[in-house]
Amino acid sequence: MAEIAPARAVRAPLIWRTATVVELVDETAHARTLVLDVPAWPGHVAGQHVDVRLTAEDGYVAERSYSIASAPEEARVALTVERIDDGEVSPYLAGDLVVGDQFEVRGPVGGHFTWRTTDGGPLLLVAGGAGLVPLMAMVRHRAAVGSHVDTRLLVSAREITAVLYREELERLGSARDGLSITYTLTRAVPERWDGFARRVDGPMLEAVGPAASSHPRAFVCGPTPFVEAVADALVELGHAASDVHTERFGPTGG
Amino acid sequence: MRLTDAQVLDGNAAAGLLAEIFGGAEMTGAVRGCGSCGQEHAVGKHRLYRGAGLVLRCPGCGDVALVVVERGAQREVRMSGRWVLSVPV
Amino acid sequence: MPPFSRGFHGRPRRPDVDPSRVPPGQYVVEDFPVLSAGPTPRADLATWSFSIQGAVDACVSWTREELNALPQETLTVDIHCVTKWTKLDTTWTGVSLDTLLEGVSTEAEYVSVWADGGYTTNLPLEDLSDGKAWIVHSFDGEPLERAHGGPARLLVPHLYFWKSAKWVRGLTLTVEDEPGFWEAAGYNNYGDPWREQRYWGD
Repeated sequence: MAEIAPARAVRAPLIWRTATVVELVDETAHARTLVLDVPAWPGHVAGQHVDVRLTAEDGYVAERSYSIASAPEEARVALTVERIDDGEVSPYLAGDLVVGDQFEVRGPVGGHFTWRTTDGGPLLLVAGGAGLVPLMAMVRHRAAVGSHVDTRLLVSAREITAVLYREELERLGSARDGLSITYTLTRAVPERWDGFARRVDGPMLEAVGPAASSHPRAFVCGPTPFVEAVADALVELGHAASDVHTERFGPTGG
Repeated sequence: MRLTDAQVLDGNAAAGLLAEIFGGAEMTGAVRGCGSCGQEHAVGKHRLYRGAGLVLRCPGCGDVALVVVERGAQREVRMSGRWVLSVPV
Repeated sequence: MPPFSRGFHGRPRRPDVDPSRVPPGQYVVEDFPVLSAGPTPRADLATWSFSIQGAVDACVSWTREELNALPQETLTVDIHCVTKWTKLDTTWTGVSLDTLLEGVSTEAEYVSVWADGGYTTNLPLEDLSDGKAWIVHSFDGEPLERAHGGPARLLVPHLYFWKSAKWVRGLTLTVEDEPGFWEAAGYNNYGDPWREQRYWGD
């Protein structure tokens, strides 16, 4: 097992490396985690992503980016891919791919949407659908280090079965170490639901907290309209724009 | 779950390509002063578009900040405005 | 040679294609990719017009109603994007540039095409004439979707598709050739897919 390089490894040479799939984990009916072996992986910071390049036998090339789901402390790099029906790449990665298959990755990349426990808190993480992936890397990093930084995770999904990492989130959320997790479902709610049941808005963000006056770092990730609405709402609640970090996914993954 | 054709994304999605172009620099934090509206924005906050090449636009006014065209073995990069980059030695 | 990914094929491909319909370096696709240099503009249909101006004796313009009152053509053509996808048998409905240029008196040899959102492209005037170009408002019998250029786009199928400007609003006839958005960014000034003129200098 390769030694994990220090977290500030963003300056390692940015080259394409061949990743081999060593494990596949079905997260939901539509999403799968790919656990990869990447030779000479320089390590990453929670929130970063990799560019993935697939080359077909006839030379056709497709590139996409995927957030790293694993904590920097983990031995292997994991990506979570949501399968989009008409997509070109996701049906392959979240469908046809088997253990032993290979593709190229370039990374890690992204310095603006990153968090280390040493950056401190409080922390507000707002996830829309698959936007949970990079925020999960932050939550996993926090748990791996044993941090008790005040962290509020708000997860928005269409329905409960679409929430990624549900069991792991239940476990982490019940650890009583300063992490609180709130869900909001926008299409269908199960019986006896005690979470929210609407799109994220100002009153919901205010209820989830932390208050703007405590200057939390906010990380918002998900589809573009979601990210823009949430970022605007946070600024209206008094959060400084410079404290709100955003990462927009395409509305469809492809 | 990120880059797709012509979807409105931000400069974070181009972090890998820009890092490759700029010798490993973490570009999403680089700041560009717009020559059109005067506002300053981090590259990560610029709007990203994919046409025949990659286009980054000022989030304040839509001015074209950067265009990358891949032509085989070469990559042409055109930039406008006042850029401040911090590139590793 | 990068390692290939077993089982990855990319976009759904059309089987049994006559290779003589596919320009060099192109892949035939079944879907219709959406590419853009900027945000999708939203036209105000009430005030929308298409105009021909510049080095002309008199400017002319048409509202949507006026355009719809002109002779319409429905045509099926193959289209080729410089990003290497080709789509066969696309069907469009619109007005021929020959109809629109009829009565336009000019010495100019070049055209700058301009569109909502600021996109521009350029081509010789003769490449818009003699049944080579249309202003189209419908695709496959349905009104052209905004993402694909609606309410109207230029269609010039014999050149790479970046010349078929989406959200077209007018032509400026020019004496000098003026490179448009992608031409100024490194793409070929003319763009003939059959001679694979992708980049400036090809």
